[in-house]
Amino acid sequence: MQVLVGKRAFLTALFVFLFVIPWIANEYHTFVANLILLYVILSLGLNLLIGFAGQLALANAAMYGIGAYGTGLLMKHFGLPFWISAPGGVAIAVISGTLLALPALRLSGIYLALATLAFAQFTFWLMTHWTPVTFGAGGFIPPPIDFSPLPITQETGIYYLSWGAALVLYVFAKHAMESPIGRAFVAIRDGEVAAQALGIDLLKYKSLAFALSGFYAGVAGALYSGMLGFVGPESFDLLQMVLHKAAVVLGGMGSVIGSLIGGVLLTVLVELTKEFKFSIEVAFGGLLIVFVLFQPNGVIVFVRRLLPGWNERLHYVPPGKETEEDFGAVPETDPEAPAEPDDPAEVPATQPRGGGPV
Amino acid sequence: MEYLSYLVATGISTGALYALVALGIVVIYKATQVVNFAHGEMFMLGGFFAYTFHVMLDWPYLPSFALAVALAFGVGIAVDRVAFRPLMQRQTLVSVLLVMIGLSFVLKGVARWLWGGKGDYLTFPPLISPEPLSFAGIMVMSQQLVVLGAACAVMVAFALFFKLTRAGRFMQATADNPKAAKLVGLRTDRVYMYTFGVGSAVAAAAAVLMAPLTLLYPDIGFMLFIKAFAAAVLGGLTSIPGAVVGGFLIGIIEQLAAGYLHTAMQEVAAFIVIMIVMIFIPTGLFGLGRMRKV
Amino acid sequence: MRRRYPVAALAAALAFGTGLAAGPASADVQMQGVTDNEVRIGAFGPFGGPVYLYGKLVMNGVEAVFDKVNSEGGVHGRNVVLVREDDNCKPEGAIAAVKKLAYDQKVFAIIGGACSNATLASVPELEKSGIPMVVNSAVADGITDPPKTNIYTTQLTSGVESRAQIDFALARGAKTMAVVRMTDAWAMARYNPLIAYAEEKGIEFVENLELGVDANDATPQALKLKGAGVDAVIMILYPKPGAVLIRDSLKIGSNPLWVGQTAINDFVAFEKQVGVPDALTNFVTITATAFQPSDPEVKDWTDRVKSLFPNDELSVFNMNGIGSAQVLVEALRKAGPDLTRDGFLAAMGSMDMEVDVYAGPIKCSAGESHQCNQHPGWLALEDGKVVKLQ
Repeated sequence: MQVLVGKRAFLTALFVFLFVIPWIANEYHTFVANLILLYVILSLGLNLLIGFAGQLALANAAMYGIGAYGTGLLMKHFGLPFWISAPGGVAIAVISGTLLALPALRLSGIYLALATLAFAQFTFWLMTHWTPVTFGAGGFIPPPIDFSPLPITQETGIYYLSWGAALVLYVFAKHAMESPIGRAFVAIRDGEVAAQALGIDLLKYKSLAFALSGFYAGVAGALYSGMLGFVGPESFDLLQMVLHKAAVVLGGMGSVIGSLIGGVLLTVLVELTKEFKFSIEVAFGGLLIVFVLFQPNGVIVFVRRLLPGWNERLHYVPPGKETEEDFGAVPETDPEAPAEPDDPAEVPATQPRGGGPV
Repeated sequence: MEYLSYLVATGISTGALYALVALGIVVIYKATQVVNFAHGEMFMLGGFFAYTFHVMLDWPYLPSFALAVALAFGVGIAVDRVAFRPLMQRQTLVSVLLVMIGLSFVLKGVARWLWGGKGDYLTFPPLISPEPLSFAGIMVMSQQLVVLGAACAVMVAFALFFKLTRAGRFMQATADNPKAAKLVGLRTDRVYMYTFGVGSAVAAAAAVLMAPLTLLYPDIGFMLFIKAFAAAVLGGLTSIPGAVVGGFLIGIIEQLAAGYLHTAMQEVAAFIVIMIVMIFIPTGLFGLGRMRKV
Repeated sequence: MRRRYPVAALAAALAFGTGLAAGPASADVQMQGVTDNEVRIGAFGPFGGPVYLYGKLVMNGVEAVFDKVNSEGGVHGRNVVLVREDDNCKPEGAIAAVKKLAYDQKVFAIIGGACSNATLASVPELEKSGIPMVVNSAVADGITDPPKTNIYTTQLTSGVESRAQIDFALARGAKTMAVVRMTDAWAMARYNPLIAYAEEKGIEFVENLELGVDANDATPQALKLKGAGVDAVIMILYPKPGAVLIRDSLKIGSNPLWVGQTAINDFVAFEKQVGVPDALTNFVTITATAFQPSDPEVKDWTDRVKSLFPNDELSVFNMNGIGSAQVLVEALRKAGPDLTRDGFLAAMGSMDMEVDVYAGPIKCSAGESHQCNQHPGWLALEDGKVVKLQ
């Protein structure tokens, strides 16, 4: 049983399946599979920031857009090949992401969320108004990407680049979150004062969390511009932000493999809502509500309950099992979580309710 | 000179709308330390409720108004029950905010189902004559004066409520220290519930008064919320008079930016104000000097 | 052990893939979506979000036409079936929708395309698939200019409207003109040809102003227009900012010639939206459709829409769907009983017909212009009544 549905077997099967899709599926399904790979990357990056480091920023869609615009515009304005402009676009996203960490040093909770929301709206405004650079609201068509000498089309090339990026970024996230970096993130999430007392450098690790999520979103954005062959501002609006949040919550906050599953599920669900002519706003707004209220740790909890070998050391321990009465009490730990007293994840999330400047 | 005085006068009258919406945000924040991300949708729903009664069912103005406000009060209580109360106990702000964001999208989608087929921008009759009035040589829309009056009245009512009534002092106490408030026997749950109700009711009242000028459509909420939030944060997020002054200031800033810099600045001024205030003066103009520490 | 899986899979997949690289035979594609008693037509546009009117309501109009045709026995014995796809008004949504309709649902042709950017982004995909497309809502010129073999539009395109706006103002003797515009994709698709045409005509706009789609106030814009003493204002605005602009201008006693376009297409509703009595004496607007939903001439159609979709008010958006669907059905008819893509496109390419709801004839030319609707109608208010200007 464990061999068949173990985490590694599942991951291998998933990535092999995604690898062969362009040959076995029609163009539509291949396109959806490419979207899946992008949402896996986006969801992983956002989870590092929200789920692990506990920084509720609402600018992920903007970072995604910055990556896409950066890549496309470097190609368009300077005639650079994709191989140079994509890293350039990602670099711009990382820099913007890191800059967002500056307010995060002074702000937390609601304040941070709304300051980043204002930043996202400002970015959107720039995309539509900085016409000489961004071509304005009408968007632009980035030049085609040349994959020669490989005998493949742009679509296929971008697909396998996305596939490789998703795989590498998953493995990287997994290892990073099991390293001292992950522990530092979780410590910050669970209490900044305590984290500082443990000798964790807030400036360094908060910047790192923002830079990492900017990197992931930037990579997804760069691939997006190549995949669509069109970049316009409407792809990076509030709905996009909600989709990213839904992917993270659906999969499981603070779970790397959860993000992988969340990205896959989200993309499939988006196509299903279209298939059933259901309002995408109601579907994903509702999903966010239902999951946060009733299963705040995402579908990964069900998987973990059913299957052995799916535990992650630093996964957010669900406080959801507590009853109404233990307001502020230490919640029970998940019986299946390995007991490691030194593990910061064992400390319940005790954020102050309000947040605010700290 | 006429140019400048027009901009300032209009800034104050549109600012009154932001102030009225901001008051709801501030009252909820004061009691619960949470910004209701779906507050713009409370405005939108209030407007559509009134539209349903007054325009679709042809009921008289005042009963429609009252019923819309009452219904919005109910929706506010539902928000407390669904989004806030269950999550309070888990003490995670991230969760509360995520649920609010989800809620704002759900309400938009539901409004589109219910009223979206009725037209692109629905119209609602004004309380008084639609003709503009001359006010010291400056023409203003009479409905804007109604909103201005309402903003001041609601501000005074809230200020008195927090200062003079028992319930108001409960709210204040609950906000300052929820655990202590609970220990001394305050029914904090109830305080939160009524706060959400009152906040939504104020948004609905603002919507009914303002609908003749803003028109009604499912997406009206977000922009108003952002501008009202800018007003609230400029005023310090906990100050009742601060919200009103903040509203006027945002209104005036928008007008001046559009009038003297570029008309494109009208849209973006509020976002820039939010970023500047949050980073450089997070306590706002009227905020408490003491901020909550971790 | 696990490291070997991807390598093995890679090798297998490569071997497998080279065999399938060639596309399907073109003979099948010509008849895709056609059976003896059915022809499947796709549609894409938003079902939700701020601009769902351009998607859902237009599709309702299309559905009404198909319903009527089918109740009369279909086209050459085939029922016309509409397959709707939601694109969320996003580029990725539109591309996904086209791919789904072309390769998964395998429809014969597509009617629709609502949002300018989304439809524009889907053009390469449409061209690649070769599937015939009749655009009925999106206005951006770039969708059909330069002409693409398989894409036609029955909607007035942005360039046609923008030029008509300037010509109208000139014909009314306007000396100084200004433009007030939104800044989304829809507005930019109109604004760029507007500026190009103004340059061509040697017109310089004395004021070039922006107004947000959610604007609740336009006093600065109104003051600037008044200060510049403009005779005519070209409005590239949705009804809400349009209403706010006219209201605030009247407030300060300025009422130049307001030249609207098809987004403000319901005169009666717009008068209410402005909310000030006698506000529209100087307002004219373009209509793509000859009739308002309330006109008796189109009662047959509006009754059909109403009976199929009882919850929705009738709107001009329905009319757009009705008109384009009539053109599509006519092309299916002309293409004859042996329906193929090429036959359909040949029929579209020589289309010349009067349509119940459009202001002018629909005339396409395969070699020259795929923008089949070149006839903006003008509406104005005279003695309290909406009249069509000649």
